[in-house]
Amino acid sequence: MDKDFASRRRRELIVAAVLALLAALAPLFVKDVYVQNIMVLTLMYAALSQSWNILSGYCGQISLGHALYFGLGAYTTALMFMKFGILPWFGMLSGGVLSALIAMALGYPCFRLRGHYFVIATIVIAEIALLLFQNWDWAGAALGIDIPIRRDSWLTFQFTRSKLPYFYFALVLAAIAWFVTWWLEDSKWGYWWRAVKDNPEAAESLGVVVFNSKMGAAAVSAFLTAIGGSFYAQFVSYIDPESVMGFQFSLLMALPAVLGGIGTLWGPLLGAVILIPLTELTRSYIGGSGRGVDLIVYGSLIVAISLARPQGLVSLFSRAKKVPAR
Amino acid sequence: MKISRRNLLLGASAAAALGPIAARAEASEVAIGVIYPLSGSSAQIGVDAQKAFETAADIINKDYDFKLPLAKGEGLPGLGGAKVKLVFADHQADPQKGRAETERLITQEKVCAIVGTYQSAVAVTVSQTCERYQIPFLSADNSSPSLHRRGLKFYFRASPHDEMFSKAMFDFFDDLRKNGQKIETLALFHEDTIFGTDSANAQTKLASERGYKIVADIKYRANSPSLTAEVQQLKAADADVLMPSSYTTDAILLVKTMAELGYKPKNIMAQDAGFSEKALYDAVGDKLEGVISRGSFSLDLAEKRPMVGLINEMFKARSGKDFNDYTSRQFMGLILMAEAINRAKSTDGDKIREALVATDMPGDVTIMPWKRVKYDEMGQNNDADPVLLQYLGGKFVTVAPAQVAVSESVWPMPAK
Amino acid sequence: MTAETIIQSLASGLLMGLLYGLIAVGLALIFGLMDVVNFAHGEFLMIAMYATFFLFAYFALDPLLSAPLVAAALFVFGAVIYLLIVRFAVRAKANAGMVQIFSTFGLAIVMRGLAQFFFTPDYRSINHSWLGGKTVSVAGIFLPEPQLVGALVAIAAFVALYFFIHRTDFGRALEATREDAGAVALVGIDKNRVFALGWGLGGALVGLAGAIMAIFFYIYPDVGASFALIAYVTVALGGFGSVFGAFAGGILVGLVEATTALLLPPSLKSVGIYAVYLLVVFIRPRGLFGSI
Repeated sequence: MDKDFASRRRRELIVAAVLALLAALAPLFVKDVYVQNIMVLTLMYAALSQSWNILSGYCGQISLGHALYFGLGAYTTALMFMKFGILPWFGMLSGGVLSALIAMALGYPCFRLRGHYFVIATIVIAEIALLLFQNWDWAGAALGIDIPIRRDSWLTFQFTRSKLPYFYFALVLAAIAWFVTWWLEDSKWGYWWRAVKDNPEAAESLGVVVFNSKMGAAAVSAFLTAIGGSFYAQFVSYIDPESVMGFQFSLLMALPAVLGGIGTLWGPLLGAVILIPLTELTRSYIGGSGRGVDLIVYGSLIVAISLARPQGLVSLFSRAKKVPAR
Repeated sequence: MKISRRNLLLGASAAAALGPIAARAEASEVAIGVIYPLSGSSAQIGVDAQKAFETAADIINKDYDFKLPLAKGEGLPGLGGAKVKLVFADHQADPQKGRAETERLITQEKVCAIVGTYQSAVAVTVSQTCERYQIPFLSADNSSPSLHRRGLKFYFRASPHDEMFSKAMFDFFDDLRKNGQKIETLALFHEDTIFGTDSANAQTKLASERGYKIVADIKYRANSPSLTAEVQQLKAADADVLMPSSYTTDAILLVKTMAELGYKPKNIMAQDAGFSEKALYDAVGDKLEGVISRGSFSLDLAEKRPMVGLINEMFKARSGKDFNDYTSRQFMGLILMAEAINRAKSTDGDKIREALVATDMPGDVTIMPWKRVKYDEMGQNNDADPVLLQYLGGKFVTVAPAQVAVSESVWPMPAK
Repeated sequence: MTAETIIQSLASGLLMGLLYGLIAVGLALIFGLMDVVNFAHGEFLMIAMYATFFLFAYFALDPLLSAPLVAAALFVFGAVIYLLIVRFAVRAKANAGMVQIFSTFGLAIVMRGLAQFFFTPDYRSINHSWLGGKTVSVAGIFLPEPQLVGALVAIAAFVALYFFIHRTDFGRALEATREDAGAVALVGIDKNRVFALGWGLGGALVGLAGAIMAIFFYIYPDVGASFALIAYVTVALGGFGSVFGAFAGGILVGLVEATTALLLPPSLKSVGIYAVYLLVVFIRPRGLFGSI
């Protein structure tokens, strides 16, 4: 059993490394900027959804307010750069740390809430932040922050036409988020979370440590999400409250994990790889009609996938693997 | 079967004649990208815009006897009669999607120019992306003044921005004051978006410069479920003029809520948007007799320039609506862009940009009440005079500025 | 700030609160009592408003007359949606909660797309009806008639729902089914039948709300989005499992909103609602009157 487990862990690591390598080579074959853009977004959502999955999937605290951390990351980076000339790399780190601290501060009262009460609390907290930013003149309020384009540079993380630097950054971010999840699965925290899920009584005896591990999960999840937000600010070079803190964003971050398989290692990635190209392509190639057909197609697919595979699309693979093993 | 020499010759000459046509057919389309919200909460604007752009493309591509650039003859003569092909894209009011769609239009659809976008937030990223690819962007209907002040070389806007619009309102107030009307206090009512914020900033600045007192400055959340609290504050302030900057949804709710709370503003001077939409007047037109809205277009112009009426009919046949402030600017946006491409005799971004920079078009060959179209070094046309329209007897009439006004304004607003 | 302003604000806030309650009462049944998440609640409201609008536009039927028809139509609609979609989401063995959220979220997107496809994205509104634009004024305090009627309908709807849940066999079956579907199956209660009826009833209540809202609100495919979040907060604030809670939640939300708008810039008025929600659940993790 233990041997099996160890070999499965090793196999997962190898598969991930091979996938990352293949992805890293992809731009050699894909030169189309539009397709590269979809690839960047797919990796970004894979990373975001993986981060969300740590708190909501593994730890079981369903958050529909992660747009808060995404927006904080984006705003911290953009504001520090525009107001004080601080390079986005430091802004990124600061945004991550700030989000992690805020996540813990909010986790303290919120983790006592259960079920829907918790979910709605996460929604309204993000919504409060959205309204505050929308009205905060110093941070640009509704006008947002327009990061002017200058020369291509890794220092300011700005590239006028090339998508490749963004692509590789997003790839590294997705890989880190994956690796953190992989590592957590086999950590003390991972064991506690499983124990609590399998046996609610165990939660009582583990009370304090489990609470602390949830705080840890919230911090890690928020940190990674904020890095994603910083990345987005650099990538789009314009942010406003609605486009980085809107409620829709919180849902879009959760969606790949839910469709791919919530609380699973591969779910978020699989979900993002299917969902994001679908979102972009339906809008680009059907949305131009102005009749809402893209919404109908997109929405129907979400309904169909979530009903057909409640445990996530990743279950299609695990079953295929199990059968020959027996 | 005997092939005669004559037949062979005929065939050859036919092939020769067909050859260039076939070859030209390939190069005979000029693709222009059109980016609008085609789904989501402002889809209505995008769908109407599609009709306006199609009308403009129709006039360019077919032969019409209008005194409008490119109307006579088919296609763009500067490019061998090439036809304009529109490629529509949906940005869903999301700056990131606007950017992605711009890239797609430029790199995949090979558009040589882009027109858009309605939402100013999306115009920021679309124009920035166009700058990166050195493709000209014409902002047809964005009114945020910050847009042209970002040092972009490929950004152009023919129509007025909020500061010009607001200035027209205050010029009008000043004139009324000279004529003995009492206008002292103003109430601003604006949504919490770029549009609302920019509009309110311009109005606040002008008010303090010209000695008007702002007694209420109400910023509200766009698409709020209720405006009761907001209207109460407006009512308590009871300013001489209420100045809303609101889109259709909130404008409808504002007017209904004011009626329900027994508040009849002394005067309303609207920053266009919802107040130029047919839907608002269908819903609450009876409560809006005498409301004044700024605009950049007026159907009255048809009396002086018959083509305005004829083109409006063409648009109406497609959309079932008259031209309004947005659709007229969108229509004109495509004509202006195509006219520049025609003069550039090229689909190269830099050449089109040079042609746009060199634009100097007298106002009377447009459908707008503008003096002329000539872009300054920031790409803004400062000769696009805004007009003020008053809603009287179920339609809009131009009441200012004097040179285009067709009737005197009714001030104060008739008390029902 | 005069006393009149404050009284008017509170009176308007109370009416608005009852209206939020009316919009939330259907959700209180589906989300609050049956514990099924419906992220398409706002879109149900949108459909009801369109139904009212078209009955007015084509048959000149006043919204007050069409309200029962719309409620009946939405009853069928709610039951059908349950049987076609939600039934499978509720049955999901893994992550039922998330599956419910996202299958109904997908449904919401489809409904908006369909509305745009069939009804165009144009803004509609009912420009004259029996109550539209009419207002009662008492000592300088204005009370709009549509909202007054909405408030009465809200109270009636809550009273009816309360008796329905606590005094009828169906209500008991509903609660029992939520608690333990397996056990009720033994006594011959079919979960799907009970829940389909529950969804139908929830739909009918949304139908009533939509008909009233259509009197004074604009209608377009995305109109539901403005109300959905407030409806969720209302139900959760009142507490899951409590009909009275949702009613009280609605009133509180309306009053808090009105008070916040007096103290803060109106663009921040929702902050007050959200802050009060957080305050309440931090002190009482089951909302004001919740049992679950």
